[in-house]
Amino acid sequence: MSGEIEGVGIVKTYQARGDVLKGQAVQALRGVDFRIPAGGAASFIGESGCGKTTLGRILAGLETYDSGQLRVDGVDLSALRPRKREPYFRRIQMIHQDPYSALNPTRTVDAILTDPLTLRAKQTGRPKSWIAERQREVLSLVGLEPDYVLPRYPHQLSGGMRQRVVIARALTVDPDALVADEAVSMIDVSLRLGILKLLRELRETVGVSVLFITHDVATARYIGSDGELYVIYRGQIIEHGPTETVIADPVHPYTQCLLSAIPVLHGLERPGPDRLVPTEPLADSQSDTGCLFAARCPFVTDRCRTERPELGHDGGTGQEHACFHPERRHVVAVSA
Amino acid sequence: MTTATESSTVDERTSPGVRIRDLTVAYRTPAGELPAVSGINLDLAPGSITGLVGESGSGKSTMALAMLNAVQQPGRITGGAIEIDGLGDVLSLSPKQIRAVRGGSIGYVFQAAQNSLNPLKTVGKQLLDLGRSHGVEDRRALVRQARELLSRMGLSGERVLDSYQHELSGGMRQRVGIMLALVLNAHVLVLDEPTTALDMISQANILSIISDVHAERGLTTLVVTHDIGVVAEVADRVAVMYGGRLVEQGPTVDVLRTPSHPYTKGLITAIPRLTGDPDVARPLPGRPPTLGTIPRKGCVFRERCAVYAAGAREDCETLDPPAHDVGGGRLVACHAVEGEQ
Repeated sequence: MSGEIEGVGIVKTYQARGDVLKGQAVQALRGVDFRIPAGGAASFIGESGCGKTTLGRILAGLETYDSGQLRVDGVDLSALRPRKREPYFRRIQMIHQDPYSALNPTRTVDAILTDPLTLRAKQTGRPKSWIAERQREVLSLVGLEPDYVLPRYPHQLSGGMRQRVVIARALTVDPDALVADEAVSMIDVSLRLGILKLLRELRETVGVSVLFITHDVATARYIGSDGELYVIYRGQIIEHGPTETVIADPVHPYTQCLLSAIPVLHGLERPGPDRLVPTEPLADSQSDTGCLFAARCPFVTDRCRTERPELGHDGGTGQEHACFHPERRHVVAVSA
Repeated sequence: MTTATESSTVDERTSPGVRIRDLTVAYRTPAGELPAVSGINLDLAPGSITGLVGESGSGKSTMALAMLNAVQQPGRITGGAIEIDGLGDVLSLSPKQIRAVRGGSIGYVFQAAQNSLNPLKTVGKQLLDLGRSHGVEDRRALVRQARELLSRMGLSGERVLDSYQHELSGGMRQRVGIMLALVLNAHVLVLDEPTTALDMISQANILSIISDVHAERGLTTLVVTHDIGVVAEVADRVAVMYGGRLVEQGPTVDVLRTPSHPYTKGLITAIPRLTGDPDVARPLPGRPPTLGTIPRKGCVFRERCAVYAAGAREDCETLDPPAHDVGGGRLVACHAVEGEQ
């Protein structure tokens, strides 16, 4: 199996437009490193505006980056000419957040799947008859009844079915990786787990890796409890490690605040003993010198305000963090 | 239910109780008038926070709007009553009276407060509009009250009142929504999806504000949401809606620990958790009904019901199960649960 994806020091800066903010730079990603093995799972979690969506778009080839390297199977994509780069982005497909706007409302599911499959048939030298066959195959893979959905328009399907069509469309081009950006937040609660389960199963049935971008840590855990978790704050990865380790034993105060904010299911769970709340809300004006979380951190010291901690290893746990004062705290709810 | 007359800790006012009886709301469609909410009975105990949980199309937002008698065309409240202590039946008030009640004694925080503010007016201007429409004479006092509420919620009153909505973050707008709902001293507060579209940390912040303000001002609060986590965090009681029916209600902790209705069970099992075996979570089969596909006869949940799938009962197909008391303040509308009694 191929399709290892690696990011090395990816930087993305947006120039603000408009009269008021003109000239101000917004640093969406400040040198981000990550590695997702073929068939693996990685989750990027953080608040809105932390850069996680930008990262997903860069991975899917929808956004450029200013510096750093994006490598697929060890090949640095930034060094390639656009034409050479194209085939690599076929291998990374995006599942958008909103299945209502990700599908063309004037086209049937049949038409939606036929286009990429025609292209794929041409690329791989397959006969036309393969297209109809493959259509049914990908629809069955995502748990849809081909005869029911093929003649239908997106508006005739429920949100959950639409998201499955979006996933089927991504699978038509035989990707190595799926990038799912808040893939279930627009879907009815009773149907969410079905979609998450599907993404999880596709890792086994098709061997795709899943890059899951979300603010909901529990869904990230469901998809990839065997994978890696990256916590992003204002464009910097501030903690990273095996998903279960980071959730059970976070060391960075920001990760701890984020995990503390998850509602406790009273009756089934008790609040974690060390629940933590940031001292300030997130504001645009917060300083770029020193630790990015310093302004909101309950444990801030003078050093944090002047010096920026780099992401580095913490003992032998495979966990990395960017904090001068790391301390394990148990913040997530415990089963009652 | 008795009103907490002796409670002296809660200001000098007494929180009102709310009794919803046989509430039915129908929408006019090409297929005739279809009920989005049908025969709902729900009591909001004085001073309690009730969480109303349901998926899209369950009728929960319609129900929230009905609390203000503000269901929009083509919808229409076709029957029932909503009795609020000190106000009487909201549904039989005159248009003039109901206008005073909306935003007056009943505060309403709209779904996506970010979109319910006027983009062309500062928050302060909108506050004065609210005051004018409710005949407030002391505008200084109104502004003072608004500032107090905002600073109570951790915002700078000065700054926020001078801001346009685009200058505020999602969490700040939500707090402005809560301020506008409470600034005229509402005693009943209805919040429709107060934390949807907010990040985890802002959500936790808003939820703790809701709990605190609720307790400080002695409110009776209804939180409408699709997220059981939100209910678990703030609500004393939970009411679960499905296909326009209330299928289960009871104390939050008890319902979460031992859900009775197969839908509530399924919904809770479908929540991915942060501890324990992730594989414990199981998806609920099928999909929620829409207005047109709600079964007209029998139990609205039977197509997705594990109990019905395991052994079809005839009454599930013929009779809409009535809610019955199963003890401990819990009501369940399920034939199978009735059978166990």
